[in-house]
Amino acid sequence: MLARLGWLLVALVGAAGWGMLALRRGEAVSAAWLVLAAVGTYLIAFRFYSRFLADRVFGLNDRRATPAERLANGRDYVPTGRWVLFGHHFAAIAGAGPLVGPVLAAQFGYLPGTIWIVFGVVLGGAVQDFIILFGSMRRDGKSLGQMAKEETGPFTGMMAMVAILAIMVILLAVLALVVVNALRDSPWGVFTILCTIPIAILMGFWMKVWRPGRTLEASAFGVALLMLALVGGRYVAESPTLAPLFTHSALTIAYGMIAYGFVASVLPVWMLLCPRDYLSTFMKIGTILLLALGILLVLPPLGMPATTRFIDGTGPVFAGKLFPFAFITIACGAISGFHALVASGTTPKMLTRESDARLIGYGGMLMESFVAVMAMCAAAVLDPGVYFAINVPLATLGGSLETAAETIRTWGFAVTPEQMTALAASVGESTLLSRTGGAPSLAVGMAHIFSGAFGQGLMALWYHFAIMFEALFILTTVDTGTRVGRFMLQELAGHVWEPLARTSWYPSIVLASGLVVAGWGYFLVQGVLDPLGGINSLWPLFGISNQLLASVALCVGTTLLIKAGKARYAWVTLLPLAWVLLVTLTAGWQKVFAADPRLGFLAHAAVTAQQVAHGTMDAARGARLIFNDRVDAVMAVTFMLVTLLVVLASAREWVLVLTRRKPARAQESPFVETAYVG
Amino acid sequence: MWARAAVWRDRVSAGLSAVRRVAGMPDYAAHLEHLRRCHPERPAPTEREYFEQYVAARYGDGPTRCC
Repeated sequence: MLARLGWLLVALVGAAGWGMLALRRGEAVSAAWLVLAAVGTYLIAFRFYSRFLADRVFGLNDRRATPAERLANGRDYVPTGRWVLFGHHFAAIAGAGPLVGPVLAAQFGYLPGTIWIVFGVVLGGAVQDFIILFGSMRRDGKSLGQMAKEETGPFTGMMAMVAILAIMVILLAVLALVVVNALRDSPWGVFTILCTIPIAILMGFWMKVWRPGRTLEASAFGVALLMLALVGGRYVAESPTLAPLFTHSALTIAYGMIAYGFVASVLPVWMLLCPRDYLSTFMKIGTILLLALGILLVLPPLGMPATTRFIDGTGPVFAGKLFPFAFITIACGAISGFHALVASGTTPKMLTRESDARLIGYGGMLMESFVAVMAMCAAAVLDPGVYFAINVPLATLGGSLETAAETIRTWGFAVTPEQMTALAASVGESTLLSRTGGAPSLAVGMAHIFSGAFGQGLMALWYHFAIMFEALFILTTVDTGTRVGRFMLQELAGHVWEPLARTSWYPSIVLASGLVVAGWGYFLVQGVLDPLGGINSLWPLFGISNQLLASVALCVGTTLLIKAGKARYAWVTLLPLAWVLLVTLTAGWQKVFAADPRLGFLAHAAVTAQQVAHGTMDAARGARLIFNDRVDAVMAVTFMLVTLLVVLASAREWVLVLTRRKPARAQESPFVETAYVG
Repeated sequence: MWARAAVWRDRVSAGLSAVRRVAGMPDYAAHLEHLRRCHPERPAPTEREYFEQYVAARYGDGPTRCC
């Protein structure tokens, strides 16, 4: 009885949060209501919906031994306590996606994004992560691609693999672009990020050669050095001799990152990739906790309105209407196909009991969504004028602080050149204008919150701390992503010529790494040179690919349910699948075929061709832009086709099973009674 | 006095091993314990060998980190 009253209270508090967000108009709302609405909804969803999924739909059974118990080997199969594994899984799924997406989506105001982040995760994203984790756990930790292959046939498996490789290329390019936009002409940022490379190498030698296995010791040492590098960055930025050495254009930084990605993929893992991974994990968890604490301590008022006029599709940060683009831009915070790869990778091999999958699969994703809500808060605490000055491409703003202020005034938001100059100076940068990509506005928002919570006057340090933390784990994604892409490419190439599949054969390593790096490097350079700012075309492309991968995962999930004889519950995955497909295919279609040249790739190519014909654009530059638009269009169409093929192949399988023309038998590993007591 | 110190030492080492697991780091002591219990016939690897095997298994294939 008391418990029921408690849950009623939670529901009421959550409802009060939504009520405040919905009813307060024209006055600043405190971020507290946003946090309350989100947390209330998560708790209710976890208590009731995830329990329904665990007990009724999946039938989690603690008498059934997990792969970690049956196959324990002390390396990848390790039974792990559930809160520890929760932390581990969360650290693996949380990255730059949930931070950048909401910041970009804030151009529609804070409300549309927040609603999708919270309800999308509860009904879609968390269900996807949970069911894939469950399916993989029942299959000895098999990957999404292997499950697709075994349950729906080799064609679907192959398509899933191609989709994963393509999404990886776009993902790495767009994340690298976020870093490039944050580090361009920023000696402090460049110095700090460059320092992470020797620090990681030092840690690698510490852990492997000098004091083997002492990973925690090496990490503590690494974090300390990182803080020194952060503080040292200020002296570099202020020194007239050193600053020019670390001040680089966007293009130089882009080529630097491409070279780095190649080297990181070719070097042995222990030397660079593994220590960086440790470093970024600690920074990530620490900073997210700090951000939560900061928001709770400060409870800042939101400067951004609930919705802006840009829901009509005229937004300057990225083009497109609220529907479907709010749902594409948020990406990882609400539903992320990429998570299906982690939920069918390391995590299922570490579950001690089947019932732990509920906290880790469903609960872990709720936590990720909460990170997205915090990112939304950090973006919405900024004055809208400042937000747009930081996020709108230079071409739109007209190049100088005065024209920028004037342009933003015509949109109905106030910002003065003096305000932007003072803000840039207070965070130790020469300019913050048009640093599109989310990281800098998030960093300014975080610096604002941190300095409010933990003492004024350290604004510049907090800003660079936030930039360093984001760049650090984006670079870690670039390392690991390039490497994973290389493995997948080698596996695919192995079908053509066997030696290419040998993951330790150097010519093959160099060739495959080079191809993967060239793939994302192409899109990165294209983004840097894009007159619309790059993020405008690449981020939607990333959102689309990530959610189409989510559709593939939800298809696999539905197949698992139907084959396990649970067809009456198949709506738990079919509903989110239908919504995600609707949103994503609409967005994909518009990105390719829309008549507005800011939105549609082909329309943009046509306008560019006209400009070349009229002599208003240099022919070589025009040809390159047209080529890029066409490549983007082909990518988007390919993503959509691959996904539709997977959906059709899966639907055929469902019909066959439901009409009893095929036996309803899921390929689960046989039941083994657990040896654990209690 | 000494008994309490031992309790605290155990707590600290349990805490550290939880931190290792969260970050995806190898846990040598736990692995030795696992070998002793389940495969007493196998020779125990040195700490460096275990580190190398663990890193190879963890970063072998499949993404370990997300966007």
